[in-house]
Amino acid sequence: MDQNNSLPPYAQGLASPQGAMTPGIPIFSPMMPYGTGLTPQPIQNTNSLSILEEQQRQATQGTSGQAPQLFHSQTLTTAPLPGTTPLYPSPMTPMTPITPATPASESSGIVPQLQNIVSTVNLGCKLDLKTIALRARNAEYNPKRFAAVIMRIREPRTTALIFSSGKMVCTGAKSEEQSRLAARKYARVVQKLGFPAKFLDFKIQNMVGSCDVKFPIRLEGLVLTHQQFSSYEPELFPGLIYRMIKPRIVLLIFVSGKVVLTGAKVRAEIYEAFENIYPILKGFRKTT
Amino acid sequence: MPGRGRCPDCGSTELVEDSHYSQSQLVCSDCGCVVTEGVLTTTFSDEGNLREVTYSRSTGENEQVSRSQQRGLRRVRDLCRVLQLPPTFEDTAVAYYQQAYRHSGIRAARLQKKEVLVGCCVLITCRQHNWPLTMGAICTLLYADLDVFSSTYMQIVKLLGLDVPSLCLAELVKTYCSRVSFTQPGVQWHHHSSLQPGTHGLKRSAHLILPKCSFKLFQASPSVPAKYVEDKEKMLSRTMQLVELANETWLVTGRHPLPVITAATFLAWQSLQPADRLSCSLARFCKLANVDLPYPASSRLQELLAVLLRMAEQLAWLRVLRLDKRSVVKHIGDLLQHRQSLVRSAFRDGTAEVETREKEPPGWGQGQGEGEVGNNSLGLPQGKRPASPALLLPPCMLKSPKRICPVPPVSTVTGDENISDSEIEQYLRTPQEVRDFQRAQAARQAATSVPNPP
Repeated sequence: MDQNNSLPPYAQGLASPQGAMTPGIPIFSPMMPYGTGLTPQPIQNTNSLSILEEQQRQATQGTSGQAPQLFHSQTLTTAPLPGTTPLYPSPMTPMTPITPATPASESSGIVPQLQNIVSTVNLGCKLDLKTIALRARNAEYNPKRFAAVIMRIREPRTTALIFSSGKMVCTGAKSEEQSRLAARKYARVVQKLGFPAKFLDFKIQNMVGSCDVKFPIRLEGLVLTHQQFSSYEPELFPGLIYRMIKPRIVLLIFVSGKVVLTGAKVRAEIYEAFENIYPILKGFRKTT
Repeated sequence: MPGRGRCPDCGSTELVEDSHYSQSQLVCSDCGCVVTEGVLTTTFSDEGNLREVTYSRSTGENEQVSRSQQRGLRRVRDLCRVLQLPPTFEDTAVAYYQQAYRHSGIRAARLQKKEVLVGCCVLITCRQHNWPLTMGAICTLLYADLDVFSSTYMQIVKLLGLDVPSLCLAELVKTYCSRVSFTQPGVQWHHHSSLQPGTHGLKRSAHLILPKCSFKLFQASPSVPAKYVEDKEKMLSRTMQLVELANETWLVTGRHPLPVITAATFLAWQSLQPADRLSCSLARFCKLANVDLPYPASSRLQELLAVLLRMAEQLAWLRVLRLDKRSVVKHIGDLLQHRQSLVRSAFRDGTAEVETREKEPPGWGQGQGEGEVGNNSLGLPQGKRPASPALLLPPCMLKSPKRICPVPPVSTVTGDENISDSEIEQYLRTPQEVRDFQRAQAARQAATSVPNPP
């Protein structure tokens, strides 16, 4: 099976800190256009600021000319990203929520947990879904309902939709590496069923994270001050839908303080979006 | 004109082309003699450059208004008239509909969606003028599904980039209280015969949604005892106070507004004459008042009563009465009068409290009561202090979580591990299993293909 394991030059340039090629630091998909695909280690770095700093350090060294429009670092030491100017607004300003340049001690200390990763991969050959459904234990195929085989594996606990064109969607993983491993396992199953499956164009399409700010939020107030980004219709849905422009993430904010972030292609976008929204949410805490 | 010939009568060369109606003629300008006449009818090839211009192009309209758009615009106007909205609303709603129609996604949408779009445009117009129209009301009028309405509404707001304000709760309370009436169902039918013709398809009971219906409000009738009749103004003011109290104590945020208003109206009505009305249940009240009972209204009612009970605990003369959810209704008037200070003393700020709770060790919960004495603003002696203030939090935060979500263990997966063959084998059927499965499938096919087994 042809696994896209060879690293392009820029990914190798990200090999600082030294020894980054150890299994401890996962290599993200080389197909990503941006170089900042390194997943920070959740064990050590609970402070989200250091994650952003690490990313920025690697971005400045590894970016292949494309502006990584992924984040504003709170300490913008290098040249500012094109098209973005570091502003210092107060949290109550109803403007695009750019991270205020506050010292590191003010970062929320809460790290969103990833709940779901959706990825796609091309197996590179036409598949006979009937054969797959017949000879695989973990497959279901109901052509009248949906034109794909639904396959599940136990470890990592994921579900895959396998189409007759050879394209596959893998959902349910809790991290990028798990998603990649699961996709490889599905491809291996298809291979063992007799098809010349490859592993082409693995790409993370969507990441969903969630966290809890642990205080109630006045959604009516939030929709008043951030009208251009928020949509709050209690007749339809109990949460407020906040469409952040930078990074392009959709947040579902609930009165209990739970926040769901979705629409990210890389983990850093989720962290950045949460760091952007946290000061705004704090501003709505004391109103009772 | 030179070169055109001469007039046979006077010999002048001044011939002009002048059409007599649609017939072109060459006429001598001196004597008026008609020299030549064009044919009255033309052939198709002759008409090459004389093709007629369509009305819409001749009037300069850029596009034709399609029939389905015309139908939609008519529906918008009908809906505005049925709801008795001010005339300016109609023009705004029509403009929104036309604006929406310019997008190809809307033009190609199904008729069901276009029908719902009519409701969306009217709703947006009402919201922008703070006119309290609920989505449920529009869906009832248009016989539309709320899911379809919701997706179309979100899509159109995004597409047109509109700024739609939230539903105005105060106005909705006023509308709702006006709607609550105690007359016989038959009487209401009489009032809507003035509906415009052609408003078919719009539910006949539109009058139930009209904000300013002037039925015989609050008058006794055979089905409504005299004790149940209430003055509209008193009920409106008390309901408003109760809704404000609910809003302050986190009962409104994130919830559908209508059940809260139903519960508040019921409580207000009960509290104005508790002796006679405590026996009436919420369901019966809604039936008598001829309004729907929304499902969450009973739980909103319980939550509101719990808040009132907590407030009652702060008043010494009520504490000794040991009130419960029924008896507290008698004192709602007093509680509402002092609600600002009572809420402040009955509840401590949940937002700050949750933070401190995080930082304290877990065994702190028991010592909470003692710790609160110092904070207590009433400053009563130790033995007689009121119940320790409860946290002012939304009910969803006060309930214990349904299931504890464990933090997933940190995985050390790299994505590039070796995948063992045995692991993959477990997902493949053995040849024997394949044969069994095929046999079972064939048997099932045979069974289903026989229509009437003997």
